[in-house]
Amino acid sequence: MPSRWPSYLVALVLIVAVNFALPRLMPGDPLQAIYGGEMLVEMTPEAYAALERRYGLDRPLAEQFLFYLGRLARGDLGQSYYYGCPVPEVIGGALPWTLLLAGSAFLLSSLLGMWLGIESGWRRDKAGDRGLLWLLGLVNGLPDFFLGILFLLLFGVLLHWFPLSGALTPYAGYTGWALALDAARHLALPLAVLTLTNLTDLFLLTRGSMVTVLGERYVLTARAKGLTDRVVRYRHAGRAALGPVTARLGVRVGRLVTGAVFVEVVFAYPGIGGLLQDALAMRDYPLLQGLFLLITVSVLAANALADYALVRVDPRAGHAY
Amino acid sequence: MHINYWGAVKGSTVGRVGGGLLLAALAAGAAAPLWPHAPEAFSQAVLQPPSAAHWLGTNDVGQDVMAQLLHGARRSLAVALAAGCLTTALSFLTGAGAVLGGRRVDAMLMRLTDAMLAVPTIVIVIVLAAYVPLRFAGLVLVIALTGWAAGARIVRAQVLILREKAHVLAARTFGASTRHLLFRHLLPDIAPVLLVSFIQSARRAVLLEAGLAFLGVGDPTAVSWGMMLQQALQFYYTPAWSWWLLPPGIALALTLLSFLLLGSVLEPLLDPRLRRDEHAGD
Repeated sequence: MPSRWPSYLVALVLIVAVNFALPRLMPGDPLQAIYGGEMLVEMTPEAYAALERRYGLDRPLAEQFLFYLGRLARGDLGQSYYYGCPVPEVIGGALPWTLLLAGSAFLLSSLLGMWLGIESGWRRDKAGDRGLLWLLGLVNGLPDFFLGILFLLLFGVLLHWFPLSGALTPYAGYTGWALALDAARHLALPLAVLTLTNLTDLFLLTRGSMVTVLGERYVLTARAKGLTDRVVRYRHAGRAALGPVTARLGVRVGRLVTGAVFVEVVFAYPGIGGLLQDALAMRDYPLLQGLFLLITVSVLAANALADYALVRVDPRAGHAY
Repeated sequence: MHINYWGAVKGSTVGRVGGGLLLAALAAGAAAPLWPHAPEAFSQAVLQPPSAAHWLGTNDVGQDVMAQLLHGARRSLAVALAAGCLTTALSFLTGAGAVLGGRRVDAMLMRLTDAMLAVPTIVIVIVLAAYVPLRFAGLVLVIALTGWAAGARIVRAQVLILREKAHVLAARTFGASTRHLLFRHLLPDIAPVLLVSFIQSARRAVLLEAGLAFLGVGDPTAVSWGMMLQQALQFYYTPAWSWWLLPPGIALALTLLSFLLLGSVLEPLLDPRLRRDEHAGD
């Protein structure tokens, strides 16, 4: 197989189909799923019929699907009935916070995971390596939201080191550096949790890869040449060990995003995850659908990009299975 | 493949800890009906700290936290067992079917498998649960339908190897049907792979069930650890966190850990390459 593009196409079709089917899966009226129960009560029969026409609900299913695709192509995700404005607008307000949180966590967990993996693999079976393996193994066993709760209790409630919720102190009127510092203080706990929970698989992978590479002859050669430990560890073994690691990038984005959803809920962080919980609680179906599309499609895109990058870096990967 | 599972679990510290934790969870679930308080019963005694009557105190509406914790174990383990079995069955049928079904079926099923692996299925389950209220059976079905892909890849890889083994080739020469091959020859040989797949699926199911309830879209009639966490989190600034918020979280973490540990003990049995760490090098 030259690439996985056909799979991504299948996945995209699945996502769009699920999103189309969701309001129609509801027991009762799909319009209720689109507009919410309260609104339908106040509506005149004429307005109701007009709405039905607008969403094409009076036509056959196949036609409705085309209708839906057309709306999607125009970026029309409907109106959030809780926030009372278009769904893309609501999502746009929350997206920067999630990008900040998930982006920093991705960067931090990647760098830390690779570094710790290289160091741990280098010291295989020594005390430091064993300790890290056990510690990260235990962290790996915890659900994201429970680790978040533990951090919230320890560093927020008991030690008062960090604020308990939100992304900024409300009505503080900070500007410039004070604002950045305030945002950083609010970011610290969720970021630490998300980084820790996403560190483990990369750490284990890098460590395993490092252990394998250290048995190779060119590492022995590098040592025999009298190169320093540092150079052998990072330039020779480390760099080679990171090859298989890049293959996991796409999968990690998926985990990171779902992790961010739960962590944001724990810390009441005003990003996509917090929005998703609001939408679930309010049964704000248009917003739910919009969030569903955004999350699934961006994870899919990240997967596809990582695959593409991998094939560019290592052409063998295209034929790997 | 003949593998001494029990010996492997008993022979390693990791295995004993994992098995012990799982037994503890099973015991907690079994003991639930014996506990004097019902998990749903309200009382006037709200947010009571632990006492002789209520070992783990009470919550904001006076329900006994210990009773909820014990019934939560039943819920988690029931979901783990049912969803684990169904997911593994789907993985087996897809993975083995892909190999036996010929090139076209294989290509199609693997496209679908890769597609499922690329999509964040947790998000699908969360959103679906908001539209259609998922009771036990619905929940198990949705967890299995979104979770079979990883196992299917592993099963397929193993079946590709098994297919070339002498006894399978012999059966095929004698004109054995696909059905016969699948259930008489492949299933017994692939049982260890399925066991590991079951453990991983069970872990995923426990995590998903808890996650859904934590977000408030779980079955509102079922007492579960995730629901306890969701309700208790709103009171984290009161002293109640120590008896109401921590216990379900710890129970959940330990149950997940037990599956993780058991899986890590049994996994190397399947793949000799994973055993290398023990004797290679140095």
